[in-house]
Amino acid sequence: MALPALPGIKIPKIAPDRKKAFLAVGVVIVAMLLLVFGWTLFVSYSEERQVEVFRDHIAASEADLGQVSARIIAHMSTTIDDLSLAECDAYVREFAAIASYGRAVTAYHQQIIAADTVPEAYVGAQAAYLRALDNLNRAFAFWLSAATAYEMRDYAAAEQNLARADEAWRDYITAIGDYEAELRAAEERGEVASPIPGTSPGQGS
Amino acid sequence: MEWKDVVPVLAGAIIILVVAFVVKPAFLGEQTPSGSEPVVVRNPPVYVPPDPVATPTPYPDDGPVYTRSFRWTAIDGGVQTTVVRIPEALFHEQRETPRLSDYHIWGRYALADADRPILEDLARRIVPPTANPEEGYLRLMNLVFFVQQIPYDTDDNAASYIEGALPPHVMYLKSGVEYPKYPAEMLVDGRGDCEDAAILMGGLLDALGYDTVLLRYSDHMALGIRMNEFNPYYAAYSPSYFEYKGKHYYYVEGTDFEVENVSENTTAVIGRPYPIGNTRDISIPSVRTETPEIIPLRYLPIPKEHYIRPARLPVAGEG
Repeated sequence: MALPALPGIKIPKIAPDRKKAFLAVGVVIVAMLLLVFGWTLFVSYSEERQVEVFRDHIAASEADLGQVSARIIAHMSTTIDDLSLAECDAYVREFAAIASYGRAVTAYHQQIIAADTVPEAYVGAQAAYLRALDNLNRAFAFWLSAATAYEMRDYAAAEQNLARADEAWRDYITAIGDYEAELRAAEERGEVASPIPGTSPGQGS
Repeated sequence: MEWKDVVPVLAGAIIILVVAFVVKPAFLGEQTPSGSEPVVVRNPPVYVPPDPVATPTPYPDDGPVYTRSFRWTAIDGGVQTTVVRIPEALFHEQRETPRLSDYHIWGRYALADADRPILEDLARRIVPPTANPEEGYLRLMNLVFFVQQIPYDTDDNAASYIEGALPPHVMYLKSGVEYPKYPAEMLVDGRGDCEDAAILMGGLLDALGYDTVLLRYSDHMALGIRMNEFNPYYAAYSPSYFEYKGKHYYYVEGTDFEVENVSENTTAVIGRPYPIGNTRDISIPSVRTETPEIIPLRYLPIPKEHYIRPARLPVAGEG
């Protein structure tokens, strides 16, 4: 079967214009460079911002833990050798109040820091710090149980709870060590190091 | 290519960025990659101080009291006497107080706040204050001898109680009838068993500022008193002590005051108190063979670990 000829159709002539062609290629390249550069800037800013927010939350947590710590130190330095029974009971009530305070503080900051989005390099540090808070929270919960057992005059149960609290506390110390190791690793991973004036590594509360 | 051709390319790029980082996350509920915004700390937890412990109402001075006279042989061989007055209301309140079978808490009986003024007063009369430190041991022994000479009676004997019957809160345990008495009860009843004597002695010595613990054996209870290197040259025995938290507590017997006739022709008796640290001459086998469990008068839950370690902060500006 023969195809009928297409009458009157002409292929348009393309008049090559080198200048326009270069301009078009240049525009596309510039647009792509802009996109890549913009994206890089954007990501970099985001990560810096994420670390700053994470840092602020850790600082807030450490400040509150510092308050808890001050109360614990004051409580533990009380002379207990010649307390009356009423004073012993008051001592244990204060111990329970500190435990409740510690639990509330650790739970509060756990919630805040868990909600942080951090750069991938800091995920390990974040997880370790959360683990530290969780262990501290558990230790305070055992303190509270020990105080309750004391109130119930079940000294054996109080001792058992204290033993478990000590265990959780040691886990907390380990987790803080992990956090610092992870933090060091993240900072050494070569991300841009540009400390804000007035801040320095090793700051804590 | 004209500028009018460039504008759509740039506009397209911007639209792609906006859709990718704003519209899509908004629709899907994702977090924007601009980082989590700081959570506004509105209600950080605060320390809530505990409710104060209720202080017991003191017993009226003009209320009815039990008056008890005590007579005992002091360390110098002289006979001493004293009178103790205990509010009846206190005694009856304590009689109506349920006892706890767990001996770990029996130190609380020795330290009962309501008994404290009575014990402080009695201790001062048994061992008047002196400025001479050389008399410390003699004073201590006088107090020990006072308690040792309170007649011994078992908890299951109705004669051990002024009512002539077992109190409502005696405990019937596998080991038998048990009823740890408050010091005031022991003084009013005028008799008691080993734990009653240890509790009374612990309360009296604590009132004088001595550090004491209860020593629990399988069938006996005595007192431990903290002393440093107690080793009197005149003792014909090696003083027994037990270590607790790095401190030495010497054995003190609260009962088992040996009584023997002065001679065959008289009913007069002479007592032989047990000095501090002497377990060799105690007639109770468990004291000579067992290592006692040490029970502090004061128990407080104190954790070993309590140091919060400050954590280093991330370096700001890194990312």
